[in-house]
Amino acid sequence: MAAAQEERTARVVTRVAAGPAGRALSRKPARLLGRVVAIVIILLWSLFPLYWALNTSLTTLSGADSIPAHYFPSPLVSTSYRAVFGIGGAGNGISGEFGRSLLNSVIESGLAMIVTVVIAVLAAYAFARLQFRFKRTIFVSVLATLLLPAYATLIPLYRIMASLSLVNTYLAVVLVYVSGFLPLAIWILYNYFNTIPPELEEAAFVDGASPMKALLRVVIPVARPGIAAAAIISFLLGWAQFLFPLILTTNLATQPVTVIVAALNQQRIVPFTLLMACGVIAAAVPGVLALALNRYLIQGITAGSVK
Amino acid sequence: MSAARRGRVLPYLLLSPLVVFIGALSFVPTADTAVEAFFRVMPLDPPNRFIGLGNFRALFADPTITISWVNTAAYVVIGVTASVVLGTAIAVALKQRFRLRGVVLALVILPWALPAVVEAVIWSWIYNPTVGVMNSALHSTHVIGGYHVWLGLDRWLTILLIEIVQVWQITPLSALIILAALQAIPLDLYEAARVDGAGAVQAFRRISLPLIRPALAVCAVEALVLSLNIFDQVYILNGIAPLGSSVMLQTYVTTFENLNFGGGYALSLLVTLATAVLSLAALALIYRRPEAA
Repeated sequence: MAAAQEERTARVVTRVAAGPAGRALSRKPARLLGRVVAIVIILLWSLFPLYWALNTSLTTLSGADSIPAHYFPSPLVSTSYRAVFGIGGAGNGISGEFGRSLLNSVIESGLAMIVTVVIAVLAAYAFARLQFRFKRTIFVSVLATLLLPAYATLIPLYRIMASLSLVNTYLAVVLVYVSGFLPLAIWILYNYFNTIPPELEEAAFVDGASPMKALLRVVIPVARPGIAAAAIISFLLGWAQFLFPLILTTNLATQPVTVIVAALNQQRIVPFTLLMACGVIAAAVPGVLALALNRYLIQGITAGSVK
Repeated sequence: MSAARRGRVLPYLLLSPLVVFIGALSFVPTADTAVEAFFRVMPLDPPNRFIGLGNFRALFADPTITISWVNTAAYVVIGVTASVVLGTAIAVALKQRFRLRGVVLALVILPWALPAVVEAVIWSWIYNPTVGVMNSALHSTHVIGGYHVWLGLDRWLTILLIEIVQVWQITPLSALIILAALQAIPLDLYEAARVDGAGAVQAFRRISLPLIRPALAVCAVEALVLSLNIFDQVYILNGIAPLGSSVMLQTYVTTFENLNFGGGYALSLLVTLATAVLSLAALALIYRRPEAA
């Protein structure tokens, strides 16, 4: 007993004395191996389906249909991507359709992101910094919509847009997206503004600036990471929308890429190689953004969820 | 306009776009759902009139709708449990710093950042009955004797496999939230536990678990709201067949395929109420005994 206690104390003492580097060295190889295996499993679980889509999109139909499956594209070809982009004539009629839907997705998610961020910055600044009547009531009721399922408003929004003859317009899609994304963007920005010391603006007020000028010249430049987080999350949400555009858009003038991928999948005649190429491209846009802006994304997610 | 007056008006100016958007496109529509659920609304077969609980009675008499409620309950149970457990496991595994941890985290988030529809199409290819990689992998490792039709035959297997696709998408969010909570725990607590002779499992149960409880509650509620409203994955992997259908799918079918808007409103209202009640109950349950464990 006493020996064990002594040994434990000695271990703690050496560990503390050795610092972080010593801690890493003293770790048993078995535990290290265990952690490496855990991380490999996590990565396989997270990435294998995406790799599988890429693998299929880069081979021929007979390569993709082989039994047992080929875990690497063999043969390795770019036929599907050429077809999707209409290079070399073999488009299967898909290239125009898919390209247009990509453009629609860019326009709809992009516009929704811009409008959401502008409105959310103004509102979050008011909530974080200004005193006015009904502040708490408005703030709580806006955030309460975060707890409502997005589809609670599906049918009425469709009927509103139909009565205004806005079905199948970018405007309808963007309006619906913005109203859905605002609460989360405001929550992220409100939290970020609260981390900025008020002294920064007070200095500007002393110099005679108005609150509006302080927001534009002082707060917004400092809050850029928070704004980036709200922006990327709004864009990703927009890009992923399916049910709302499924009912609000009726043809290629406005249908986003999610609706077109679902439609191609439903036709059952589009080869899986081609379908996976479409999937990879539709996933690549948000995927690359999420990887490139990872820092802001993580910050936004954690700020948006933990009170 | 004087400066003081401008100062008093400014907050409302800043908020006006928000109030217009949320008012017109969130509050009014939600209220509209709550009212129209009690009306007969058939766009192709007017007139619309008040019918009290008629829509609800029709919903409860329809076996397809009942099946979708039970299915949705299964989606929720699987989704909440699996995403919270997996999210915790991933967070624990990624808690300690190592080289390239930033890269691993960035990659782990990917499924969350991509459209559910696209992911469901990819998984339908993985589940493919004749040449899917799941069949191939399980067959070559002798887990199964022959290739299976995974979706659309057995109700609970179909639901499980569809929910796995959603769990795959939402787990990264839980992992990140739980990871943030784990990292906020002071390391001295673990050091003290180790000095007292506590093992890793005990330290997790006695220190980590009670302290990440609020984060777990947030994750459970997020998973609850998402799985209760599951649509995209079901639409792609199950189609509109009753076998694996969810309440949200039935809302879509009732409203936009059968053009019975009143029935759709009633179903929508029920899902909304179920979501609100269950998320508040989950929060209350988990926050009730913070000292427990």
